[in-house]
Amino acid sequence: MAGAAAGGLALAALPGLGGRSAEAAGLLTDRTAGAASAVANQGKSVTIALSAEPNTFDPHLTVGRNTQIFIANVFDGLTARDASANILPALATEWGFLGDGASWQFKLRSGVTFHNGDPFNAESAKFTIERAIDPATKSTISSELATIAGVDVVDASTIVVRTKQPDIMIPNRLSELYGGMLSPTHTMATDAAMLATKPNGTGPFMLTEWVKNERLVLQANPNYWRGPASISQITVRPILEDAARIAALQTGEVDFVANVPYERIAELEANPNLTVKTIATPRVFFIGIDPRVTPFNDVRVRQALNYAVDVDAIISALYLGHATRLATAVPTAAFGYDASVTPYPYDPPKAKELLAAAGYPNGFSVEFDSFTGSIADHSKPAEAIVEYLRQVGIDVKLNVFEFGAFGPRRVANQLSPLHIYSLGNAYFEPAWAIKWMMQQNLGLFYRNEEVYALCNQAEATFDPSARVPLYARVQQLLKDDAGFIFLFQNDAVFAMNKKVSYDPRADETQWLYPLTSA
Amino acid sequence: MTGYVVQRLLLALLVIWGVSIITFFLTFLSGDPAVLMLPPDATAERVAQFRREWGFDRPLIVQYGSFLLRAVQGDLGTSLRHGTPALPLIAERLPATFQLTLTAMVLAILLAIPLGVLSATQRGKIVDLLAMAVALLGQAVPNFWLAIMAILFFAVTLGWLPTSGRGTWLHVVMPAGVLATGLMALLTRITRSSMLEILSEDYVRTARAKGLPGWAVLTRHALRNALIPLVTVIGLQFGYILGGAVVVETVFTWPGVGLFTIQAITNRDYPVVQAAVLILSTAVVTINLLVDLLYGLLDPRIRVRG
Repeated sequence: MAGAAAGGLALAALPGLGGRSAEAAGLLTDRTAGAASAVANQGKSVTIALSAEPNTFDPHLTVGRNTQIFIANVFDGLTARDASANILPALATEWGFLGDGASWQFKLRSGVTFHNGDPFNAESAKFTIERAIDPATKSTISSELATIAGVDVVDASTIVVRTKQPDIMIPNRLSELYGGMLSPTHTMATDAAMLATKPNGTGPFMLTEWVKNERLVLQANPNYWRGPASISQITVRPILEDAARIAALQTGEVDFVANVPYERIAELEANPNLTVKTIATPRVFFIGIDPRVTPFNDVRVRQALNYAVDVDAIISALYLGHATRLATAVPTAAFGYDASVTPYPYDPPKAKELLAAAGYPNGFSVEFDSFTGSIADHSKPAEAIVEYLRQVGIDVKLNVFEFGAFGPRRVANQLSPLHIYSLGNAYFEPAWAIKWMMQQNLGLFYRNEEVYALCNQAEATFDPSARVPLYARVQQLLKDDAGFIFLFQNDAVFAMNKKVSYDPRADETQWLYPLTSA
Repeated sequence: MTGYVVQRLLLALLVIWGVSIITFFLTFLSGDPAVLMLPPDATAERVAQFRREWGFDRPLIVQYGSFLLRAVQGDLGTSLRHGTPALPLIAERLPATFQLTLTAMVLAILLAIPLGVLSATQRGKIVDLLAMAVALLGQAVPNFWLAIMAILFFAVTLGWLPTSGRGTWLHVVMPAGVLATGLMALLTRITRSSMLEILSEDYVRTARAKGLPGWAVLTRHALRNALIPLVTVIGLQFGYILGGAVVVETVFTWPGVGLFTIQAITNRDYPVVQAAVLILSTAVVTINLLVDLLYGLLDPRIRVRG
């Protein structure tokens, strides 16, 4: 139910503006945790190892989640999230939907400065958002802000974001992933190479050194508006190879590592000097079914597929238990997640019965596309699923592509009737992900009109509490109509020595501000 | 000699041009950068727009033409991922790669020559058998496996060396050692067989007969001549060392061109892949050219035939 509380507060003032800020309600606990112990930890330094380094520190040219979840340490968005993915104020102190149907007003924090001393104000916010959507920027994230038409400055600390259509997700979209704020004077006066490597944000850390593929050095911003971070210097080492990264933790070269493979968890947990922490990511795995192809136009066949696959066994065998079974495409941390909608049980006789009822007592033949070489492993779960489908009599031919070859097939709508895919729902708003999964493009051709209409309704419902029942209905319908084989969301695993303390976050962000060291 | 040099130079240029063609078209067979550069929920229109922005919608031959035209002017394109020119991105990683490969080559040569000579002089004895077994193993074991074993043993278990990265001289020991293994094994075997051949030459017997001490016969007469084929092999092996560096740099996160190229391949950063392959192959071709010329200087028979 993440997002409910804070969203509710921020939006309470509908239809006008002036809602209480979530800050006043004491929701900033984990955000301010760092500042509380800041004095005690001044001068402390920590070394961490990640599996990748950012491609750039220009927030509008970021490629891939690995970059976006990291540069949040240098830039602030208008909003932020806590570790459970609730939306919190950041550079905006409060916000609300204006009654005209297509604009959001944000009140901006005053007294905030960029690392170089430039003031943050309404002009900075307008400049940043308009730069992100300007085609001349060739922004890689423009599609995330595509509903925005423009920004108006009301006064020095107030902006209005105009949208092309009503969009409840504007505060989500302008959080740290895609809403990192830039200084207009600095950005316009600086060339592209400098913007990529010498960022100037308002965030808790300043990038003071970047030796590519070797290390990034972050220094705590002494003037940070939340108070300086606990750790005054963080050295970040990108160590691509899992074995080398974990070895670096074991030898004490680094204090903290991300992306621990599941099969290494038991060994690291047995080490008395180390702590392992896991968290469910918002990455949801599913099997796309093309309902334009017989027999998948028959709901009984689609349900049979769901009954046929023992997802729990896949989770325990392939993920060693480090994944969470899902009934639909809505991850547990998403707003409006309904635990009362339970997943299909593993029931092969029931699957065969449904197949027979649909006129396929002896099954049928179908092709299934999977791929390797992407952010997560999709080919191993695909192999297991294929085996389960064969056991109920469906003759499945599995095609495994390299992701670079799978992608163009997907874009050209040349995928087989079954394909595996996953989606990291960065917004934790179900309507966004579900409508994406029903887009009638990119190999996704299932659409349930009732669900789609409910999602549209949710997207036009600015009172979060009123969206909850809509989403409950959506999840029940999604499950019953079985437009996909619903699978699971996987865990992210972090390991650290006992000296440091860090709680991983549901949104995958490597937000280092609350990191502390003994 | 001038005709020989010119002929070799033209041949080198032809090879580099061939490499540019192969690299350019092969990268396009490997997949679509738009799919990887844009977020997964990017619309089909956005994908088309991306292709237009970067010129990927033009016919391949036109794209190659413009690539070649810019390449001869020193512009190898702009990295899709980093948004900056590819050439400086690679240039700033070249020193790390040269440090690693040269250290590995020196290490391999320093170990292989004494071992090969020892083997040859102790032919058939236990030292020879042991040295040949090590050489065989060194050539058979894959780098990536050896690298991970080395990390586990020297860094995790013994705690003598850092696990990865670049910084002090200690950092270079493991990656260079792993990279040197294959070359060392090969050079040991070549030194041994070349020494054996020369030790049975008439002039060696003559040197012995006129009463020169054993070490002087070995170093002054035998080894000096045995080193000539070694020069060629070392030159030719430079390409293999660079290939091995790609793997070793990745395992040890050694911030060189190999690691960068692997990342570029994974990210379908075409301009970087094309630039990196072109630069590395130019380096290999140049070294081979130098070896050819050097060989000609060392052994006059070559340039006469050339």
